[in-house]
Amino acid sequence: MVLPYPTNNMKIRDKEYEPAYLRRAILCIAFGTGLGLFVYEIFLFFKIDIFGWNLGLIFAPLAAGYAETMLANKILGEDIGAISAFILFVDTTFYSFILKNPTLGLNIITAGSILVILQAAFPTLVNYILLVLIGGFITHFLTSLKKIEKAVSSFMIEVFKRYKADPDVDLKIKAVPFFDEKKSNEHINSLDFFFITSTDVIHKKHEIVGNYQTNIIIKNDRKLVHLEPEVAEKEFLTKIKEGKDECLIRLVEEVRKNSGNGVVNLKIEYGLIGLGGDIQISTIGMGVRVY
Amino acid sequence: MILTSSNTLENKEIVEYKGLVTGESLIGSNIYKDLFSGVRDVVGGRTSKYEEEIQKARDLALDSMIEKAVQLDANAIIGLKISYDNLGGTMGNTILVTTYGTAISYE
Repeated sequence: MVLPYPTNNMKIRDKEYEPAYLRRAILCIAFGTGLGLFVYEIFLFFKIDIFGWNLGLIFAPLAAGYAETMLANKILGEDIGAISAFILFVDTTFYSFILKNPTLGLNIITAGSILVILQAAFPTLVNYILLVLIGGFITHFLTSLKKIEKAVSSFMIEVFKRYKADPDVDLKIKAVPFFDEKKSNEHINSLDFFFITSTDVIHKKHEIVGNYQTNIIIKNDRKLVHLEPEVAEKEFLTKIKEGKDECLIRLVEEVRKNSGNGVVNLKIEYGLIGLGGDIQISTIGMGVRVY
Repeated sequence: MILTSSNTLENKEIVEYKGLVTGESLIGSNIYKDLFSGVRDVVGGRTSKYEEEIQKARDLALDSMIEKAVQLDANAIIGLKISYDNLGGTMGNTILVTTYGTAISYE
């Protein structure tokens, strides 16, 4: 039996309620709350949970709200706002998070649970936040990113135009570093010094003067992007070759300090040193005096 | 030109130590090459592109070293060493291939 006085186009706060209407409304809320509690009990009894988090926390308020709305539509001709869902939300949250688990901490599971419970208890508000506010924020963020990308793109185009138009820059790029291999080879082998990479000097009388090692550190060019990678590679290789020659010359000087005139078992080693990518070149060998 | 990593040459006599000869070459970093090699690494199999590049770099270093030995009138290189070092650090692969040995003349 539908009561005649409430009309669907009137808001609830504008209506004047008779005691009978209020009694029926309270009955609907009580029915929804009771059913919700029953559903929650079932979930608790059968321990229907995920990672210890009982699914009744979602389904009980849903069931309460649904039952209340259906009953209110039936006997009042309108819904009354799923008040029982809110009661269930308060009740189940109090029971689960405070009464039963007083030591429950805030972590990703409990935070997620609270969000889901809020979604079940206040679907319109939460959906508004999710769809309108967060959706709007993401859209705005993506639009801003697109603007930044356009600004960076036009800036880079300007930079490249200027770079191409600058003749000094062109000259600099074309000045490919050159290492004279022939001259380097002549220089190293004109030091009147025995560089023996094998472990012994064959058919020559010699005596050992000690073990020697010299090092060179080459600072790394810390550019993230090289405009001309081939030029950068040549420059890098030239630095390594010059470093190796310098390291060998230092080794010769060290051995000569002890009257040596050669090294056997000579090793030339290259390696990274430190976090910045600096290169260490080492020459190691047994100093000898060859007669 | 004889290349050997040993101290001597079998049945041959070392007449003169001519000097140290070295050769270096570099394989630069290439993001696409690295990427595809990475894919091959994941799915298994040989990263043939890298193999080719490393072989080319080694040949280049050896050629440079031999050229220097010829310049010194040597006819063999003993105590040959070949090493590969990744000097790219966090910026990617930059592999340095180095070869060195002692140039000699033998009879």
